[in-house]
Amino acid sequence: MSTTWRDRLTRASVATRLLLAALLLVGLLLPLAGLGLAHHFRDSVTTVFDERLDGLLNQVIAGVRYDAVEQRLVHDRELGEPRFRQVLSGWYWQVSDGNDRLLSSRSLWDQRLPVLETGAPRELVGPRDTELRVLSRQIQLAPLDTPLQVSVAAPTRAIDLEASRFNRLLSLSLAALGLLILIGLALQIRWGLAPLRRLRHDLEAVESGASERLGTRLPTELARLAGAMNAVLERDRRRLERARHAAGNLAHALKTPVSVLTTLADSFPEEARRRLKGELARIDDATRHHLARASAAGDGTLNRPIDCHATLRPVLDGLSRLAQRRGLVLEHDLDDRLSVRLDPQDLQEIIGNLLDNALRWASHRVTLSGGRDDEGTWLKVEDDGPGMSEADCQAALARGARLDEQRSGSGLGLAIVHDLVKLHEGTLTLERADGGGLCARLWLPETSW
Amino acid sequence: MKVLLVEDDGPLADALSTALADAGVLIEQTAEGGEADFLVQTEQYDAVILDLGLPDGDGTRWLAQWRDAGIDLPVLVLTARERWADKAAGFSAGADDYVTKPFETAEVLFRLRALMRRSHGHAHPVLRVGDLTFDTHTASVTLAGRPVGLTAQESRLLAYLIHAAPRVVSRAELAEHVYDRDHEPDSNVIDVQISRLRRKLGSQRIVTQRGQGYRLVDHEAAS
Repeated sequence: MSTTWRDRLTRASVATRLLLAALLLVGLLLPLAGLGLAHHFRDSVTTVFDERLDGLLNQVIAGVRYDAVEQRLVHDRELGEPRFRQVLSGWYWQVSDGNDRLLSSRSLWDQRLPVLETGAPRELVGPRDTELRVLSRQIQLAPLDTPLQVSVAAPTRAIDLEASRFNRLLSLSLAALGLLILIGLALQIRWGLAPLRRLRHDLEAVESGASERLGTRLPTELARLAGAMNAVLERDRRRLERARHAAGNLAHALKTPVSVLTTLADSFPEEARRRLKGELARIDDATRHHLARASAAGDGTLNRPIDCHATLRPVLDGLSRLAQRRGLVLEHDLDDRLSVRLDPQDLQEIIGNLLDNALRWASHRVTLSGGRDDEGTWLKVEDDGPGMSEADCQAALARGARLDEQRSGSGLGLAIVHDLVKLHEGTLTLERADGGGLCARLWLPETSW
Repeated sequence: MKVLLVEDDGPLADALSTALADAGVLIEQTAEGGEADFLVQTEQYDAVILDLGLPDGDGTRWLAQWRDAGIDLPVLVLTARERWADKAAGFSAGADDYVTKPFETAEVLFRLRALMRRSHGHAHPVLRVGDLTFDTHTASVTLAGRPVGLTAQESRLLAYLIHAAPRVVSRAELAEHVYDRDHEPDSNVIDVQISRLRRKLGSQRIVTQRGQGYRLVDHEAAS
């Protein structure tokens, strides 16, 4: 249980981590700050309240005097606080000699305040269960022997009211602040992590073959990272190229001696020629096979869409010249925007072989056309030659073998095409063209890898 | 058929020219583009076999020069490079066909014959004058459906005449295309071989045009 939790935490995205941390900080710090502020506010409200009490007490004391005629204490001074006159208003004053109540505000009515020690204000429960804050002081009035205890009381509800009003406001403000901070942090995280997202995007593009390198318009730290990754990608690409080059050179170096041996073998007695040619064919097959594998980009990591027309232009130029020399016409109708996800060399190989084949059979005209359907790209090579029967078409594709020993080479071209198309998960169909010749129809899926 | 082989790899050039000569092709060889250039401009060939990797420049460069100079003879390119970009470059330079190494002699021969046939404007692989047929694939001759045995020299002579038919072919042209440049025959030799051919095919088939040369005709139609 705890492992999965920890596991999930380790795998949480950076954005989640940052947001969680921010949430924790805001959730912890803001309430603490709120508590502190509330406490201080209540303190200072209480201090103001106490000062008021103290002021009132002084006024009460100043109004007390001993009436020698009536031989009793009187209080004949108007106090600034009218609530001292309202019965049981919570605002009281009282003068006592320690045992009896001698004088009191009208508001106290028949009640009395307990006689308290003088000094700091105290809180107690007064008449009608109101919480009071009481300030007392002892005074000595001239003709009297006993000291007098003067007390002033006011309800603490005023403090509570003010404090709770402040607390409400404070909570609201802090909540709003918290929310703003979180929103701000979320935005900041989003903005701060945007370059990482871009980097991931770029990497995916490289992975899918849509791009060859990572963009480096990034913050310094990431730009350095992207630069390093680009260097690695570039080095890999170079290595791959070198390896392909070496494989190509080796294969080509072998071809001339194999040609010599093949030619010489023709002058050998039947049995020896057969065996020698068998072995030479094995060498040639192995060379071709591995050369094709070394140079095939069909492994699928770095294939990006290529422009059909631009890729095929050299092949079309060359073959147009050839067609012209043979008194044929090579027509092509390819949309400039037609693209296919294929290694350029493979596309040249496929279309070159199909066109070459068609040019060997055509009477007047060979046409290359292309287009797009829902799931892929199709390319069609048609000639107006003798064509092939349906059975021949089937057989040619089933075996990938030579269609006609007389026109050697052509069949081999078709075999190569068929292999390449299969490698790229496309299809190659041979059918009768409208004009009667052969129509080779090639289809390649849009997202085959 | 007289062919110039331009190939710098000695063993390959020797093996190929021996094999082609065995098949009745008259072959001359050189290892350099410069010499090939000279020969092509001065001699008459029916085709050139051109290797692309030559010591004195890429074969396509020489080929393009010949085409620019208006030399239109068929060129079969020999290359180890199988990539279409390379083949296309060869075609752009003016090649008529290509054979990739390693190849079978039979394939080279087949392509050469097809090139020669096409350069004379024949679409069908079997050439026919009356009941005389010549199969360009196999260089075999039939007369009224029966095979006729010819020597290599006779076969070359007939091949040239039947490719050119019904045009008149001069002795000089025959000497250029049918005989080795080092053993150029006097007109006597040609006359002797023509009469041998006449004996095998029937005297009416090869007409002598006085002062111009020879012409292969359909003797049924002529008589």
